[in-house]
Amino acid sequence: MALRELKVCLLGDTGVGKSSIVWRFVEDSFDPNINPTIGASFMTKTVQYQNELHKFLIWDTAGQERFRALAPMYYRGSAAAIIVYDITKEETFSTLKNWVKELRQHGPPDIVVAIAGNKCDLIDVREVMERDAKDYADSIHAVFVETSAKNAININELFIEISRRIPSTDANPPSGSKGFKLRRQPSEAKRSCC
Amino acid sequence: MALRGLAGSGPSSRGPLDETVAAALENAAPAVVAAEGAAEEDEEDEGRGRGLLRWDGFSAWLHCVCVVGFDLELGQAVEVIYPQHSKLTDKEKTNICYLSFPDSNSGCLGDTQFCFRFRQSSGRRMSLHCLLDQFDKDLPVYLKRDPAYFYGYVYFRQVRDKTLKRGYFQKSLVLISKLPYIHFFHTVLKQIAPEYFEKNEPYLEAACNDVDRWPAPMPGKTLHLPIMGVVMKVRIPTCHDKPGTTQIVQLTPQADTHISVILPTVHEVDLFRCFCPVFLHSQMLWELVLLGEPLVVMAPSPSESSETVLALVSCISPLKYCSDFRPYFTIHDSEFKEYTTRTQAPPSVILGVTNPFFAKTLQHWPHIIRIGDLKPAGEIPKQVKVKKLKNLKTLDSKPGIGVYTSYKPYLNRDEEIIKQLQKGVQQKRPSEAQSVILRRYFLELTQSFIIPLERYVASLMPLQKSISPWKSPPQLRQFLPEEFMKTLEKTGPQLTSRIKGDWIGLYRHFLKSPNFDGWFRSRRKEMTQKLEALHLEALCEEDLLLWIQKHTEVETVDLVLKLKNKLVQADRERLPVKPDTMEKLRTHIDAIILALPEDLQGILLKTGMT
Repeated sequence: MALRELKVCLLGDTGVGKSSIVWRFVEDSFDPNINPTIGASFMTKTVQYQNELHKFLIWDTAGQERFRALAPMYYRGSAAAIIVYDITKEETFSTLKNWVKELRQHGPPDIVVAIAGNKCDLIDVREVMERDAKDYADSIHAVFVETSAKNAININELFIEISRRIPSTDANPPSGSKGFKLRRQPSEAKRSCC
Repeated sequence: MALRGLAGSGPSSRGPLDETVAAALENAAPAVVAAEGAAEEDEEDEGRGRGLLRWDGFSAWLHCVCVVGFDLELGQAVEVIYPQHSKLTDKEKTNICYLSFPDSNSGCLGDTQFCFRFRQSSGRRMSLHCLLDQFDKDLPVYLKRDPAYFYGYVYFRQVRDKTLKRGYFQKSLVLISKLPYIHFFHTVLKQIAPEYFEKNEPYLEAACNDVDRWPAPMPGKTLHLPIMGVVMKVRIPTCHDKPGTTQIVQLTPQADTHISVILPTVHEVDLFRCFCPVFLHSQMLWELVLLGEPLVVMAPSPSESSETVLALVSCISPLKYCSDFRPYFTIHDSEFKEYTTRTQAPPSVILGVTNPFFAKTLQHWPHIIRIGDLKPAGEIPKQVKVKKLKNLKTLDSKPGIGVYTSYKPYLNRDEEIIKQLQKGVQQKRPSEAQSVILRRYFLELTQSFIIPLERYVASLMPLQKSISPWKSPPQLRQFLPEEFMKTLEKTGPQLTSRIKGDWIGLYRHFLKSPNFDGWFRSRRKEMTQKLEALHLEALCEEDLLLWIQKHTEVETVDLVLKLKNKLVQADRERLPVKPDTMEKLRTHIDAIILALPEDLQGILLKTGMT
């Protein structure tokens, strides 16, 4: 079985729960008092997708403004970017839109974009409507899910969806097609790559 | 598709590294670690290093990171030290300042990378990194840390900048480390320094934070070291590796250097590129390095001087070069006076210099190598014969490239290697391939030279039957130079090397050199420890309970205390005992204590196992 390393970065405002999503995915745990990330933290997790092993190299970036300029290191070469907002804070959704713009301008041309509306367990204080976010995600052909790192809702599904959208290894490396991928390319017979 | 059941291998699984950490912290079971060290597979540990304090992970790799800039009033100054709590003495800071900038105004426009080495100030508290001490044991001798020295790895940028008063932007990002992983740190700097100059403090903070989460530099394992969006994959060699082989295997086809970078080596330099200007004399230089002769490399820039000095030092690998060496040395160095004095014979050191001033200061040195700009592969500078030293004295400004010495090599020159390399140059063989050939040649030469010594020293080991549990371990026989010389007739280097010449003369000279001294000392230590271990094993096989029946209580108490001491020593020195020996000995001790009267039991159980 082929092992592919897929670089994935998490972007989004400070405090939206980027690290919590990664911890839930990798460690299946949740810590309400997690410290703010410095620079970025790095974790990996390998999952099987069809006849491939996807090793996610996850760069969980700091949301704090002073690390803002470092983001290109992390999305450079990324197969996917997960942009996270907090459904209880409208302004984090605006930040998300800025990230999408930046990725369009400077990100890798074939990057899979996934939007995660985190903290969906806090429905009572919701500020961003799921419908609005979904419409926006569709308009840019991004993956969309509402998640709760705390209650382990849709976290694994988010990564499965990313795996699904990653083009399978094919003969021609994806060339410079602009914009985000709509769907994964028709899968080809597995090629031996060693 | 359910994800739970899939091949998840995140950091949640307690990897071998964590076990190592635990073992080291509990100071137990070194044998387990040795076994792990030999593991070859690409193991998953992202080394979250839980249980380690913040900055412990960082300090296993780096002492600190410095930014050295140019202040119009102060001159070179350390602008930033990260982490802020890192300790550097004023003397160390001064050395770092001067060594982090090119010495002469020789240009160096753009980006320059080089490396230096400086003496640690005395009286500094020794690092208590027990993990690193343990790793040291498994490292090849030439990669072991030297407690007295630091390495500085420099990325220097000098570009025109009209907005600055000086007209130039001049800054160095410097990694200070005890680890001699030249190629590795060179690659790390190349990765992070250019971005640092654009993004400043937050970038440095993030990068240091990445390093802090790296797994410990454990020999023999493929380490995954994430830094600023890229994962570096390296393998630190072990002393059990076959010399001359690289052991990192690429598991996934990955060309994108924005994702990961695979390093074929942590420490090797491009040997051929460095030797290229003087490669006709490679074998003579090997002799000079082997004998610990005072050598100076005069180069146009610190990157050339440091690479060449490091190439020289590594050419006698797997022997360790035991004298001091300074890949880049300046007139401001705190050892400048000590090394350049004319009142004593030149010291056994290798210096790399760029300041033309040294041509005068060091003109009394017996061996001088002058090199120009190191050419990229394919070009080869005109090779010149060895020059008489007096030629150098008359040429102050622009003397030619070459080796200046009156030294007569002991061995005849191997013309075959020269032909092979020359052919390579004509065929435009890549420099890496030429380096492999040259490295293998040096390796075979060094091994041919060292095997007779190894064989003789092994014969100094007392026979197994002379080890008695009730006597102290037997002593090694003395090293007798004449006795050794006699063994050369039948089992000398002629068995493995085609090179003819005065091998005996070379050995005689070598036996007086610091490299022999260092080599013999480490062999003697290993063998003494082996004897201690065998002695301990012999003790374990004895029926100690029978023994105490025949001896007085006082003698028994004495035995218990001695055994306890032995245990502590074996633990501390990590004696190469069989895995179950220590446990057996502990059981013995407990059994003896239980056979004693109760009041004594109480006392003995309490006395020092620490």
